[in-house]
Amino acid sequence: MGVWDHVIAGVLAVFQSDPVLGVPITILMVLGGFLLGITVGATPGLAGPMAMAISLPILISVFGYSNDALLPVLGFLIGIMKGATIGGAVPAILFNTPGTPDAYMTTLDGYPMAQKGEAKRALRVAHFSSASGDTFSDIVLVLCAPFLAILVESYLDLPEKTALLILSLAFIASVIGNSVGKGLISMGLGLLAAMVATGEDFYPRLTLGQPALAEGIPIAAAILGVLILGEVFKALEDIHHNGVFSSAAQTVRQDAKVGTLGLRKLLPYIGRSAVIGTCIGALPGVGSTLAATLGYTSAKRRHTKEKEPGAPDFGEGAPEGIAATEAANSSVSGANLIPVLSLGIPGNAAAVFLILAMDSIGGFNPGPSVFQLGGGISAGALNPEMVMAFGIFTTMFVANGLNWTIGGMFMRSVGVMARIPKERLLPIVLLLTLTAIYVQETSMVAVWITLFFGFVGYAMRRIDMSPLPFVIAFILGGNLEATARQAFAATGADPFFLFNSPIALAFIALAVAVVIFSLRKPAS
Amino acid sequence: MKKTMKATAAAALFSFAAATSAIADGHAWAPEGPIKMMIAFAAGGGADTHARLIAEDIEASLGWEVIPEQVTGKGGVNALVALKDMPADGSAIALVVTESLGYNAAAAKGAGVSPSDFTGLTTTAGFQMGVVAKADKGWTSFEDMIVAAKGGELRFGTMSPKLSDLAFLLGEAQGVEFNIVQVRGGRAVMDGVEAGDMDLGFMAGIQGKGVASGDLVNLASALSGPLKQTPDAPTFADLGVQFSADGYFVFVAPAGMDDAARDAITAAIAEATNSGKASGMINKAFGGAVNIQGAELDALLQSDFDSAGQLMEAVQ
Repeated sequence: MGVWDHVIAGVLAVFQSDPVLGVPITILMVLGGFLLGITVGATPGLAGPMAMAISLPILISVFGYSNDALLPVLGFLIGIMKGATIGGAVPAILFNTPGTPDAYMTTLDGYPMAQKGEAKRALRVAHFSSASGDTFSDIVLVLCAPFLAILVESYLDLPEKTALLILSLAFIASVIGNSVGKGLISMGLGLLAAMVATGEDFYPRLTLGQPALAEGIPIAAAILGVLILGEVFKALEDIHHNGVFSSAAQTVRQDAKVGTLGLRKLLPYIGRSAVIGTCIGALPGVGSTLAATLGYTSAKRRHTKEKEPGAPDFGEGAPEGIAATEAANSSVSGANLIPVLSLGIPGNAAAVFLILAMDSIGGFNPGPSVFQLGGGISAGALNPEMVMAFGIFTTMFVANGLNWTIGGMFMRSVGVMARIPKERLLPIVLLLTLTAIYVQETSMVAVWITLFFGFVGYAMRRIDMSPLPFVIAFILGGNLEATARQAFAATGADPFFLFNSPIALAFIALAVAVVIFSLRKPAS
Repeated sequence: MKKTMKATAAAALFSFAAATSAIADGHAWAPEGPIKMMIAFAAGGGADTHARLIAEDIEASLGWEVIPEQVTGKGGVNALVALKDMPADGSAIALVVTESLGYNAAAAKGAGVSPSDFTGLTTTAGFQMGVVAKADKGWTSFEDMIVAAKGGELRFGTMSPKLSDLAFLLGEAQGVEFNIVQVRGGRAVMDGVEAGDMDLGFMAGIQGKGVASGDLVNLASALSGPLKQTPDAPTFADLGVQFSADGYFVFVAPAGMDDAARDAITAAIAEATNSGKASGMINKAFGGAVNIQGAELDALLQSDFDSAGQLMEAVQ
């Protein structure tokens, strides 16, 4: 069976899933996720990962743990991921409040455009750039992920894989957040949490004799606690201190005149930003905010050199600014699945929840084995994981199609979401998260653990420590330990297994270099 | 093709007969709510797949709701610990291996599980445990591999502490030293062997397709008897190892289960292993269903538990 058989089987798995109301369920779920994603993205205070976190346990309780559940659930999550990115531009343009952090740069030119009465044009530019960046990134994903996975498998032995994991963690700890030291501490805490009750020994370690911890910390509890509850607690405290926020609800002069998009002028900016966003998305740990910043700054440099006289500058309502930002932040979402599918390494919070879904439902273990022809069973059989991978790609393209067709329309209608006050929103998020945890784990212990990690996440935010290295280290911790253990055994118990092959040595040197280099960078 | 059709038809007929006889009994036990099926193996592997298919088959044929759930780790001991204190009314069962209740329960003293804490339901399939290598290594027999092992250290993949002990004893008996790499699950061993991370490894039946297509080679049988697929391969006894990897996948419930419930669930699982989707998969991956039940199963579990200490001593 060749690659094409897998591609076709993957596409069919999506389009021939059980129809509901005449539409295959997977496609319906992508649509649902996509619309929810735009809505959530357009609501300041909510973000894509938050919606993914809350939806996941609910989806699992609806679809169960069978293999058929994987594509609908992942489709929904991918829909949210993609919808949230374009949704974030809506309040940024209309009300000067970015719905998602990566849409901050969109406010710089979007809001001035809206003030000038060009809100609709700004939204259309944002939508077009976002959809183009997204599509480009997905194409790169489909072309690169299998290739990279096979490359990794054929060139990397166990010690090299261990070194690669160490390099990813070093990279994540150093680039995310403002302080390398805090990043490393956050990562270390994540590894510590991952060590509880795991390992090869029959005796569960680090459980303090608590039977509730004997199976380890429930992965959803730790992640939702740190990422969602931590954020909610911090935001509630901010509201308490600063008084009730008045949600930014300035009225904007709406102009019926939409005007031409001026596509020909925008395309170079979109193209450049899409490449930047895709490259950044493929690196584990660097999120869409950095992509947006880089896309914007590089476009700004180009714009000052090449703009026509009389055209608005960046920051004064240049559509190029919106195009550059939105193309960059949207092109992250496809590319960040490259490390997920080929290495099992999540690049950002959205990818964390995709891995969590695969992990909870089962039947799909992201990593190099996904793209082995024959799936190791024999040359004549379809590799079910590879079929699933192409099914996932198909859902991404379905989401793309929705983005091009109905995305823009829906996007223009959700501006109202930006007016929901945070003090109403946050308690609902809190309740939904705890309910979701209980639904998935069906034990009160999991709820207590979630609350505990919520306070950990809150403390991290209070001292300005990014919780993302914690989460990614928590996910990779078990993998890192197992690979290191196997590498150690496979090399005949050689304590220097990380330094004996040139590739492993290079990875380790890079890991050290990335930390030192980031330490020397002046804090921004 | 014709043969499979016949087999399917026979299986269908058998299941129909079994189903009607159950109805004819009139006093068939049925669970009051959903049955939680804990699976002690990583998602996606052969053990997991066959358990999920059994769950689907039971739902389809009897209408019972069966909810599979992964409780992995510690060679099945985590699942046993979780199951131990559940109600023994048929609402919770677990798929482990006989080794979980034998070697692993004995080795995990702190966990406090032993066969007396559980009601054995039925085994589903036996391991076709072979010592397997990739064909393109060029080894056609066990001796070829030993020659290679004398020339340089080989990596031997295993998936449990007991199997690691056996690999060590095999090396000792043959005068070579393996670098024993213990991973999670037979699928991980096969992936490792396929990818070249390991030179050879234990596979409990998952190698069937690969051996049939000539990609993999069964170098030896780790069982007390020969492998079904490669009867000529030497057994561990032939190779100087006193212990074997004989073992089965087994469903268990908490101790003190009512006989009617035990019989009904046992029958439902046994039927699923002999008909429907699960049966097809078991035939392919594990060389056919094996249903050891009742007193015979109780005795098997107890003797595995009791004899675990001898293997541990042999390795010391």
